[in-house]
Amino acid sequence: MGSQRQGYRLKPQELLVVVICLLGTLLFLSFFWDTGFHLPNSGWVMFYALVAGAIVLEYFMFKLPPEGNHQSMDSTIFLAALFIYGPKFSLMVLLVSAVIIAFNRRHVAWWKHYYNFVTYSAMIIGAYWVFEAMGGTLGDFKVVELYAYVGALATYFFVNVLLLASYFFLLYRNQLIPVLAHFVRESIFAYLGILLFSIVLLILILKTNMFGVFLFLIIAVLLSHVFKQLFLMYHEINDKANKDQRTGLFNHSYLEEKLDEYIQLYREEGKAFSFAMLDLDDFKKYNDLYGHPQGDKLLGFVGSILKEECEPHGYICARYGGEEFAVIMPELDKNKARLFIHQLRKRVNNSPFEGVDVLPHGCISFSAGVMEMNADTYEKSQLVGFSDRAMYISKSKGKNVVTVYGEQTFIPQLFEHEINELEQQIKVFLSKDVYTFKHSKRVYSYAVDMSQVLGLAEEERRTLILGALIHDIGKLEVPREVLTKRTKLSQDEWELIKRHVTFGKEFLLATGKYNDLVPLVELHHERYDGGGYPHNLKGPEIPKLARILCIIDSFDAMTTERPYQRTKSFTEALDEMRRCTGTQFDPELVAPFIRYIEQRIEQGDIPEEALQAFEQQQKQQEPNERI
Amino acid sequence: MVYDGILLGLIVGFIRAGWKNGLLALSQINIRFGWVFPLLLLGQFGLYLLQDKFSFFAQFNGYIYIVIYVTGLSLLWLNRHQKGLGIIFAGVLLNFVVMLANGGRMPVSLEAAQAVLDPIYIDMLMSGDAVTKHFLMDESTRLSFLGDIIPLGPPYPRSQAISIGDVVINVGVFLFILQLLGKKSKPNSNSLPENAL
Repeated sequence: MGSQRQGYRLKPQELLVVVICLLGTLLFLSFFWDTGFHLPNSGWVMFYALVAGAIVLEYFMFKLPPEGNHQSMDSTIFLAALFIYGPKFSLMVLLVSAVIIAFNRRHVAWWKHYYNFVTYSAMIIGAYWVFEAMGGTLGDFKVVELYAYVGALATYFFVNVLLLASYFFLLYRNQLIPVLAHFVRESIFAYLGILLFSIVLLILILKTNMFGVFLFLIIAVLLSHVFKQLFLMYHEINDKANKDQRTGLFNHSYLEEKLDEYIQLYREEGKAFSFAMLDLDDFKKYNDLYGHPQGDKLLGFVGSILKEECEPHGYICARYGGEEFAVIMPELDKNKARLFIHQLRKRVNNSPFEGVDVLPHGCISFSAGVMEMNADTYEKSQLVGFSDRAMYISKSKGKNVVTVYGEQTFIPQLFEHEINELEQQIKVFLSKDVYTFKHSKRVYSYAVDMSQVLGLAEEERRTLILGALIHDIGKLEVPREVLTKRTKLSQDEWELIKRHVTFGKEFLLATGKYNDLVPLVELHHERYDGGGYPHNLKGPEIPKLARILCIIDSFDAMTTERPYQRTKSFTEALDEMRRCTGTQFDPELVAPFIRYIEQRIEQGDIPEEALQAFEQQQKQQEPNERI
Repeated sequence: MVYDGILLGLIVGFIRAGWKNGLLALSQINIRFGWVFPLLLLGQFGLYLLQDKFSFFAQFNGYIYIVIYVTGLSLLWLNRHQKGLGIIFAGVLLNFVVMLANGGRMPVSLEAAQAVLDPIYIDMLMSGDAVTKHFLMDESTRLSFLGDIIPLGPPYPRSQAISIGDVVINVGVFLFILQLLGKKSKPNSNSLPENAL
C-alpha cells in the first residue's frame, strides 16, 4: 500500500470529499467538546434501544423498484431521538449504530461508511438548528410547534439530497442539477413518509416508552418484508419480459434496448464497446438428427456457458434468435473482444454434449463476427448487420472461426457457388480421412487471408482459394490404411502418397470444369530449390500460386497432427519456415506469410486444432522419450 | 439469561428448518475447543457453592471469575469466524470490561432492580454480602452504563435486570443457533445439467 500511495495526488473532487468529511467531523465533535456525553441509567436503556432500532431498520431496508433504489427507515429513529432527547443523544445513537454497521459490512470501503456518517451528522445538526431557530422545544410533542417540526424535517431532507447528489457529482462526475432532480423525483414520497413516521415514533415513545419503540420496529420489519416481496415480484416479471426462456439469456428486444444505451454512451461520453454475433455451426444438422427437443437442450447448454463466461465481466449476452447469439462487451476494443470470443469459442469447443460428435467439427462450435463501435456507425441495425456479415465470412472460412469486421477478406459472390461445389467434393474425406478434410478447410482459410495480404488480382485470388480447397483431392486414391498409418511409412507407401498430386491432376482433368486449378493441385509439393515432386521444377518454373500454396500447406501440416510427423507450435513452425527459406520456399512469398502469422500469434488467433494437436503431442512425447 | 437466546434460536430455527433437518444440523455443531465451555460453566457453579463454605473462595472469587472470563473470551476469539460467535465475544467483552473496572463484580442499578426484582434480593444487594457476582452501583461505580441497568419484566416472562452485554450475547447466541439450524445438509446437486456428459 505504501508504495502505491507514493506520488498519489488527490484529485480536486476527492479533496472536496475530504473537506466535507473533515467539516462534518468537526461539527459532530463541537457538540461534545465541552461537556462530553452523560446519561442517567434509564437514559442509557433508551439509548441502547434506539441504537438497536437504528441497526435493525438499516438492515431491513426497503428495496424499491426499479433497480438499486432503497430506503432505510433509520432516519425516523434519529429524528425522534433528536426531538425528545436533543442533538447529543441523537448524534451518539448515530455514531454507535454507524460503527456497528460499518463493522458488520467490512466489505464496503471505510470512507464510504465515513461519508455516510458525516452526511447523517450534518442532516441531524441542520434539522436541529432549524428546529431551534423556529422556536421548537425539545421533549414533549406540542402541536403548536408544528411548523418547527416541519421545518426541521424539510431541512433534514434537503441536506441529505444535497450531500448525496454532491457525492455522486464529485466522485462520478455526473451533472449536479439532473442528479439532484433525479433524487428528489425518485425518493420524495417514500422519504416524506419516513419523515412523518418520525413524528409517530416520537409520540409512541413519549406515551409508552420502550414498548413504543418495540411496536414501531415490528411494524417496520413487517413492512420491509412486504416491500421485499413486491420487489422480488417486480424482478420476476421484469426478467420474464427481458429474458429468453429457453436459454436464460436476455432476449432480442432487451439486447436492442441495451445497444441503444451503449451507442448513446459512446456518442456522449466516448465509451468504447464491441459487439459480437455468434451462430452455432451446423445446428440444423443436429436438429434434424436428434429432433427439436434435443436441439433446444443444446441451445440451453450453450446459453448457460455463454452466461457463465459473460456475467463475471459484466458483458451482456442475448439470444438473438434461432441459433444466433449476441454479446455486448463494454470497454473492449476489437482485439480484446476477438480474444474474448476466441476463448469463449474454445470453451464451447471443449464442452462435451450428447451427440455432437456427428457434427463436422466433432464438437459444439460457433462462427462469430466481431465489431468495435466506431464513429461511422449511426444505428444499431448497422452494428448488427456488419457483425452479421463478418460472422458469415467466418462461416465461409470453414466455421468455428472468429472474424473481426473490417479485417475480413471479402469472398466475391462470383465464385461462392464454386466454393460450395468443391466443398461437396472434399466432403468425401469426412468418412475416409477427417484430417484431410479439416486440413483442406484450414488451408483454404489461410488462402483466403493470404490472397488479401498479397493483394492478388481477382482471377488469381479465385484460383488460389479454389485450388487450396481442392489441393489434396488426389488422396482419394490413396488407401485409407496408408493415409492414417501411425507408424513409419515404407518406401512404397511413400511413393504412393507422393502420387496424390498426380491423381489430383487426373481427377480435375476428368471433370474438366476446373482445369485452371491443375497447376496448384499438381505442383504444390514442388520445392523452390528443385528438390520437390513430381517434376523437380525449380524457382520461377513453378507457378507463383503453387509456390504460395506450398507455403500454406506446409505450415498447416507442421502445426497440426499428422500421422507421420511431429507437431510444431506456431512459433516453432515459423522458425522452421525461416530456415527453409530459399530452399523449400520462395523467399519473396514466405516473408509476407510470416508477417501474417506473427500478427495472428500476437492477436492470440490460433486455430483450435493446431493448439490441441500440439498439446496432445507434448503429453505423449514424455513417456516415449523415456522408452 | 443466555438461555433466552438459546431457546428463541431453537424455536425459530426448528420452525424454519423442520424437525429432522434441524436435529441433523444441530448434531454437526463444530466449535474449536467447544468442550471447554461446559467446564467453565461447571467451574462457575462450583464457585457459587464453595464460596459460602470457604472464606478463601469468597475472598478471591473476583480473580477466579477473571480467569474464567479470559478463558471463555479467548475460546470465542478462536471461533469468531462462525456467525454469531463474534457477537457473543463482543457481548462477553462488554460485561468483562465493566466487571474489571469494578473489582471483578457486576454493578446493578437500583432503579432497574426495584422495577422488576424481588425485594428480598434487593435487600441482599444493599447489604453488600452474599450474591457473589453483583453489587449495587453508586456514584463511584465506573462505566455504569455497561452494568445491569436494563429492567426486564412483564410482559416479558422473566423478571431480571440485565446489561447491554447480556443483550448482545443473546443476539449472538440467537444468530449462531439460527445459522446452525439453517445450514442445508449437502444436496446432491450437479452443476451441469444431466445431459451434459
